[in-house]
Amino acid sequence: MNEPKVGVFLSDCGNQLSKILDFDALTDHVKKISGVTLIARSSEFWRGKGLQAIVNAIKDGKINRVVVAESLPKLSEVKIVQAVEESGLNPYLVEVMDLKDHCAWPHRDTPLEATEKAKAMLSGAIERAKLLEPLEKLEFPVLKSTLIIGGGIAGMQAAVDLADLGFEVHLAEREPFLGGLAARAGRFFPTDDCAICIQSSVSDVKTITHTSRKCVYRSGFTEIPHLNILTNSRIVSIEGVPGNYKVTIDKKPRYVSELKCVACDLCTTVCPVEVPDEYNAKLKTRKAIYMNIPNVHPPAYVIDESVCKFHDCAKCVEVCPTNAIELAQKNERTTLNVGSIIVATGFQEFDSSVIKEYHYGDYPNVVTNLELARMIDGFGPTSGMIARPSDHKSAKKIVMIQCVGSRDKRYNSYCSSICCMISLKHAILIKSAYPDTDITICYIDIRTTGRQHEDYYERAREMGIKFVKGRPTEVLRDPETGRLIVDVEDALLGRFLELDADLVVLAPAMVPSEGTKELGQIIELLDEDGFFKEYNAKLRPTETIVRGLYVCGGATFPKDAPTSSLQAHSAALKAAKFMTTGKIVKDQRTAVIDEEYCGDCEFCPVTCPYGAINLVSTDKEHFVAEVSDLMCEGCGVCVGTCPLNAIELRHSRQNQMLAQMKGLMSVNGTSKPLVLAVCCSECGGTSVDSSGMAMMKYPANVRVMKVPCTGILQVHQILEAFKAGAQGVMVVGCKSDGCHYEVGVQKTETKVQLAKTLLKEYGIKPERLVMLNMIYIEGNDFAKAAQAMTDKLEKLGPMQIMGGS
Amino acid sequence: MEHERTEKGRSLAFSNMVRSRLGGETITSCYQCGTCASSCPVAKITDKFNPREVIKLSLLGEKEEVLSSDFIWLCCSCYNCQERCPQKVEIADVIYALRNIAFEKGYIPNLYSEFASAIINDGRIAKISKFMEQKRPAIGLPPLQPTGVEALRKILSATGFDKLQKEKEEAP
Repeated sequence: MNEPKVGVFLSDCGNQLSKILDFDALTDHVKKISGVTLIARSSEFWRGKGLQAIVNAIKDGKINRVVVAESLPKLSEVKIVQAVEESGLNPYLVEVMDLKDHCAWPHRDTPLEATEKAKAMLSGAIERAKLLEPLEKLEFPVLKSTLIIGGGIAGMQAAVDLADLGFEVHLAEREPFLGGLAARAGRFFPTDDCAICIQSSVSDVKTITHTSRKCVYRSGFTEIPHLNILTNSRIVSIEGVPGNYKVTIDKKPRYVSELKCVACDLCTTVCPVEVPDEYNAKLKTRKAIYMNIPNVHPPAYVIDESVCKFHDCAKCVEVCPTNAIELAQKNERTTLNVGSIIVATGFQEFDSSVIKEYHYGDYPNVVTNLELARMIDGFGPTSGMIARPSDHKSAKKIVMIQCVGSRDKRYNSYCSSICCMISLKHAILIKSAYPDTDITICYIDIRTTGRQHEDYYERAREMGIKFVKGRPTEVLRDPETGRLIVDVEDALLGRFLELDADLVVLAPAMVPSEGTKELGQIIELLDEDGFFKEYNAKLRPTETIVRGLYVCGGATFPKDAPTSSLQAHSAALKAAKFMTTGKIVKDQRTAVIDEEYCGDCEFCPVTCPYGAINLVSTDKEHFVAEVSDLMCEGCGVCVGTCPLNAIELRHSRQNQMLAQMKGLMSVNGTSKPLVLAVCCSECGGTSVDSSGMAMMKYPANVRVMKVPCTGILQVHQILEAFKAGAQGVMVVGCKSDGCHYEVGVQKTETKVQLAKTLLKEYGIKPERLVMLNMIYIEGNDFAKAAQAMTDKLEKLGPMQIMGGS
Repeated sequence: MEHERTEKGRSLAFSNMVRSRLGGETITSCYQCGTCASSCPVAKITDKFNPREVIKLSLLGEKEEVLSSDFIWLCCSCYNCQERCPQKVEIADVIYALRNIAFEKGYIPNLYSEFASAIINDGRIAKISKFMEQKRPAIGLPPLQPTGVEALRKILSATGFDKLQKEKEEAP
């Protein structure tokens, strides 16, 4: 690269900034800085003539570095960078600083001091610009195929969306049939329609209106183009990188050909093996060859290999009219290459038998909501009759107990959010079909927060369903009659009730499904409750910290069908957005390792929140860190963590940061002590911007320097700031639990503590260094903190370093 | 349990006071589900005691009513409520914390006060009569040993219990 020729462009914002800042003084100051070859002033430099001036200067070869002092730098930077790139200069040689919100607005009462600050900020920006290096754009291929793990309502819906958009979709389900937990529920609130209903695919030529929703079996789900359904399948391993994952899947044998089976039912009539039917809560039996419910998907029988006698019997083989039964089928291991993955592994009921006092699994007439749902379902084990499992007689008195294992710090402290609605729905369905049934719901709080949900509560009261506010202590069984007694206090009356019941229905907590737990071993992104962690609940729902990996439905938290469906659409859209161009475009603002200094420690690979750093062996018999440019998100937290100073972040290299720091401290011009505010470029930094934007005042001796994340700071850099002339240092990062790079700000807090200890050693008062955790709306707090810092430093007087200097 | 709710005597700082005491830390976790009440053998036989209501009154800051009442002394410490509480409120321990505060404020039922005197003086809660001493060998029991009341007094003195008890005895 040639000698830096810096063009400095000063925007006065339509002469608004020149009312506060002395632009002639700024120009004089900039002129004196070495390397500056051009200075221009205009009312704006990010549009029109101003922008053209930058372009012309580059094209004429007058400048090869661009420093723009603008207002709204985040907005203007986009246009400036685009124009610079089009003019043939590398866009990473541009530095845009905030003349309005960092220099003019917050210090409008002290224009002289504001001008001095602007001089310092310009010096910092110019010194940094001189050291900037050109960076390349990077591209990584993305396969246009996706794997959806879990074939419940969320997984199926995401599959329809992506297949309709033309992507190749693989849908893996661990059970032999699709439908998941949803299919067992029978009906859904708040629409009271069937659980097996989905939004159908546009590939169904008869789907001509956009109102179409169909039963899974009518939707032609298995016939959707580009959709490969893998039932009875489990994920063995996931390797590779975003855009190109290699997934190994084991498909258990079905022993029945899905292509030949016509679902005629002859096989089940001859099968001699009868076992309890788990799908129907063991309330009835099934054969070794079976289907869950009619019209299930795929429409083919399956043989339960744990009970089938195979060739010792083979009666089904004899009767099958289409020779569909293939007892010789073997486990198939397949490998898929996919660009993205959607996790939709769902939730399941908590094992209520753990709560001994409710005697689930001990007293047969204590059942769970899901078991009750099977009874209510006309396809279910009792054909819709609400029966006591002990004697199959009709249950006339039902007591429901809410929050079994939910909102319970011993098991699951969270509210499972859907159980109140499930119980209300069940109570209404039973009362509608059998009006003489006596139903009491024992609750802690009834939570009906969704659209139309409160209607269920009201309808239940209208129908005469009784509500007792109280969590029962115990379910007892009368030793003589065998009837159940629920021991509860009606807390509103302060009265003790012993409710007589034929059937006690528990509303268990909803917990991560077996599939979610299993997959969590492979994709290690589970939260403390065992659900998959979304990247950000507000802005990045259904995304995970890993690019190209999405999560939807009950795998993230218990939720109702509408929300699962909504999340499925969201995950599908995000996966589509990721895959649609066939590539990931990134820039090179990534970490780079100095192999000479890197030495075997594991600090950076362990710290990197994105798994971008791996240790690789070298011929020198030791390991060095290697950064994946694809995975690196450019936070620099590894830089701050490296004990050997062997990592740098491109575009925020140490010499660039130090030069800027020195530039910022090179001008004072006031009697006040200089303060360096090192801010991140995310929430923490925006609190500094917003204080200026909102014209909040703080002293001009506070100089602002931005870094990608404060996690990049090393302890020695904090000390360098004092050496460069700062009397105080403020480190402004995001909230401890809100760091945009997961762990960055936590690392910073530790380093600030460490730096304080060192400052003490040097005889510098540790209160000269403060850490702030801020967000945009706390601009006022930043202004107050900056004032407080200045006041404190004035009180402390000039800094005395032990042993002079 | 009847109670009149007046602003007078109500102190929201009261639940913080309870929280800061050993055993009282978990009181604010209570969401009034009533599991404790239906678990309570005392509440089943008398309407003078209901653990849920004790917690509720304390959380509402009904300091005077809680501390001056008899009901905090009716808990039989079976710990059934504590075992079953879904919010891990240590109900029986909260009630001990309330008793400790009540005692410091000079509230203690006479029966308990008499027990306390007996313990400080003899190391036993019941007086041993001559008749009893004579009866023991007859039914094959060994003679009673000294109680080691000196060691006990040291503990009671270190915790300030003896002083509080003395104040209570001397009070009109």
